[in-house]
Amino acid sequence: MTRADPDAGSGGDALTRPFTPGMASNDPGLAELTETVAGRVDIEIVDRETREFVEEWRNASYNCYSSGHKFCREVCPVMQVTRNESWTPTAFHANVVAMERGELDVADVAADYVNCTQCGACELRCPNTLFTGDFYRFRTRTVDVVKAVRALAVDKGVHQPQWQSWNARTDERTHEPVLGEVAVSQDTVRDWAEGLDIPVGGETVLFVDCEAAFYRTSVPRAVAQILQRAGFEFGLMGEQWCCGGPAAEMGYVEQAKRFARHNLDNWRSTGTRRVLVLDPHDYISFTEDYPKYFGDEFDIEIVLVVELLAELLRDGRITPSVPVERTVTYHDPCRLNKRKGIWEEPREILRAIPGLSFTDVDRVTQWSYCSGGGGGLPVEKPDLTAAISARRVDAAATLGVDTLVSACPWSERPLSAAGDARDIDVVDIHELLAESLGITVGGSRGEVGDRRSAGGCGGGSCGGGGGCGS
Amino acid sequence: MRIVTITPERLSTEQVDRVVERLRTVLRDEQILTSKTDRYNRARVPAPFPVHRWAERVPDLAVLPTSTDEVAAVVRIANELRVPIVPRDGGTGLTDGAVPLRGGIVVDVKRMNEIHELDLENRTVTVGTGINMLKLNEQLARHGLIYPDDPASYPCSLVGGRIGTSGWSLIGARYGHTRDLVLSFDHVLPTGEVIHVGDGIGGKISKSSSGYQLKHLFMGHQGTLGIATKATLKLYPQPEAELSPFWAFDNYDDAYRCVGALARAGVATFAGAVLFDEWKVAYLRRDDEAYIPQPADVRALVCAVMYGYEDEVRPAGRRLFRIAKEHGARYLGDEISEGDWAARHDRYATPLHGRTKAGQVVPMSWHCEDAAVSYTRVPAVTKAWHEIVAGLRRRTDVFDDWGMFAYTSADTGVDYLTEIDIGIWEQQLGDEAWELWVQAKRDIAAAALRHGGSISACHGSCREGEVDLVPQELGRGFEVMLDVKRTLDPNNIMNPGKYLLDLAYEPGAATALAALRGGSG
Repeated sequence: MTRADPDAGSGGDALTRPFTPGMASNDPGLAELTETVAGRVDIEIVDRETREFVEEWRNASYNCYSSGHKFCREVCPVMQVTRNESWTPTAFHANVVAMERGELDVADVAADYVNCTQCGACELRCPNTLFTGDFYRFRTRTVDVVKAVRALAVDKGVHQPQWQSWNARTDERTHEPVLGEVAVSQDTVRDWAEGLDIPVGGETVLFVDCEAAFYRTSVPRAVAQILQRAGFEFGLMGEQWCCGGPAAEMGYVEQAKRFARHNLDNWRSTGTRRVLVLDPHDYISFTEDYPKYFGDEFDIEIVLVVELLAELLRDGRITPSVPVERTVTYHDPCRLNKRKGIWEEPREILRAIPGLSFTDVDRVTQWSYCSGGGGGLPVEKPDLTAAISARRVDAAATLGVDTLVSACPWSERPLSAAGDARDIDVVDIHELLAESLGITVGGSRGEVGDRRSAGGCGGGSCGGGGGCGS
Repeated sequence: MRIVTITPERLSTEQVDRVVERLRTVLRDEQILTSKTDRYNRARVPAPFPVHRWAERVPDLAVLPTSTDEVAAVVRIANELRVPIVPRDGGTGLTDGAVPLRGGIVVDVKRMNEIHELDLENRTVTVGTGINMLKLNEQLARHGLIYPDDPASYPCSLVGGRIGTSGWSLIGARYGHTRDLVLSFDHVLPTGEVIHVGDGIGGKISKSSSGYQLKHLFMGHQGTLGIATKATLKLYPQPEAELSPFWAFDNYDDAYRCVGALARAGVATFAGAVLFDEWKVAYLRRDDEAYIPQPADVRALVCAVMYGYEDEVRPAGRRLFRIAKEHGARYLGDEISEGDWAARHDRYATPLHGRTKAGQVVPMSWHCEDAAVSYTRVPAVTKAWHEIVAGLRRRTDVFDDWGMFAYTSADTGVDYLTEIDIGIWEQQLGDEAWELWVQAKRDIAAAALRHGGSISACHGSCREGEVDLVPQELGRGFEVMLDVKRTLDPNNIMNPGKYLLDLAYEPGAATALAALRGGSG
């Protein structure tokens, strides 16, 4: 097409001037233009559950799909170690768009969605969240999309073998099989508290399940003894089950809800109004999943222990005084820092411990750090978890520290293994605080932790429980 | 109208199996990806994409090599079996160099992200081309150094993609663009041979006059001449000071004159200036917290950025502030200036800003059309482009005008990267809308050429629509391109279908070219 004057406009209508769509003052001529082109091609999705899934998530995913910049990728812990574009937040959204178009179905995509720790880094780094989130009350929701795809897969009978077995055993034992062949059960769930004289039930209970209750028992022991030292009253749960969160993360939603129902009913039966939580994963379950399951019925106050301890510290109810001679950096657990925006209190606690040399790495840099221990990844792909942990410990090693402090029991097992290879101890923040309060913690710091503490038997944490194994 | 149409012959399942079998002799199984999701997620880039025809762009398989040798081995097999290769790096390009048009093997270089050598004395770093610039700079920061290649996609694009597209950098007026910053690189030719491209046998020479200067030839080819695998880059000291003032104007003309004066001032620390036109300011007012509070008489913006030592940047800043004031500028303050510059990479991709003309919020894909234009032609091109998009919007709400930026490309202010951001409602995209878009792209490219510019300053110009005008822009040079292509890629396996390069293998090329040159005005 050739026009006489190609730069000449077509005569000054409303579209030849800048305007803000939707303003009352706009030229009424705009309303007279009729749509002649747009029209989506609706693709019939026969399967009802898939159709409902797509209808729920299509726009959320499209907002990622249509964003030009994939800034999430280089902060994604899985992407950083696999460099596989199929396992990126952007792929997880693009697949939904492809499912909407009938190009892919859940059986095609399910296995890819294993490769996510649900750390939430991608959501924070997303320009949609960063730049327009406040105005539109919008936040990119990759974690929820991943959970929804996993749930749809289970719903459609598409299982990942290790997850299926893990959740079946959890269902059988009411606890995750964190000790492998060694059974976990109701009979042993309170063994970690041996000798601490904690009552059962009461208005406030300390919730301790799975990894903390059976594997890294030094964490709940540290917490319980610090609270006792501060004169803070609490009990243990009557019949303690797994929070159900991991099942929900792996797609076994019905099971997760059943576990949640049990726990809520059990709190009711002991007159419990307040639950203290030391595990960030449990904290997500209680503050995000349970309110979704139960709505207004869920009126239990949820208190994160690390926040409570910072408060006790401020109020002078505990005063760390025993110097802990370690050079440390802090690992922001993803579910605290990235998912919940909790990063100040742990640093407050660390700065209050005498003797520590603390090299901090800011919370935004830590968006790209992860232990790889979340979202069921270590169950299905332990090698990938190990690679992510190795990368995290490498970052700590460049700071010249001897200790990496975490605040999440699930992170501490893989990080300890990676730390061992670089001669870096992985210690829980509660363990460290207890030590500085002169408490002999006891319990087990896991296989690697116990072996390393046995080597020097430092830190006064080698008593009782799992003991100084090797 | 497409002059050249080639019916894409896709590989049969048996052929794909045979290719995979051969690839297994040079790669581990986990480096060869054949699942549907692996292929669907390597079919597109942020350039406008006909979502309704996604399946046509899906490759047959993808590979994740970890070394130059592995890339070369894959390419040799592909060349032998006559299977298309599509190089993919970040996959963040705004032209569609990384989109497979004929299936084949996507060679995804993301695993080649090692830092091979950091040479502090000569100030170079040698990296795998799969490394991202932000990640590289995290490592370099420990040594007080920076690799200053700064595209809008800085947090996710990769060094190899910057080479393949000959990238443009926001701070190029101070530090140069990708072509200046990449000293040399290893490159796998379409036949699988490996050559070292760049000045000097050791790879660390910035200026040589020995032989043909091949570096530029192997940059910006959009993957049609092979794959860069390992590159040596020029490093600078991390700047001690940054100054990035934003100024408001009550009219475009003053802002335009101001940006010209700032660029022409010859300040050594000047790294670039950006002009926001009235449409861009109106777009930002849709929701942006930074601009809603600005009074209605703010209609255009200019920002300039300076990098250097504190005692260089301070006086330079005073000079630029004086120039801005003489042109009627109102300084927006330190907070907006620092914050907006810091957010420069995040500002672009905001699908939530999409609107129908009536104001309904609809999720739109961000798209940006660019050109290189001399300073004196910027206003005319700006006007012509808005008119082209207005023409689209008269017919449909699939397209939305998100305004224009003009950026200085060089330190003297000779030319500008002009870009118009266009929202595209891909969910509503069908064949008719896609055709409208392709025609609009031709018109956008034609406007740039009419005003003595180039179709693209940074994205490349190989997409449907604009590509029809490349023979016109390059003139006889386009035939040289065809000759080079045929010589280096005798079997047309390297990213076939791009840049009209299929003509290199067509007996009727001369006629087709004559038609393109005659009929694209």
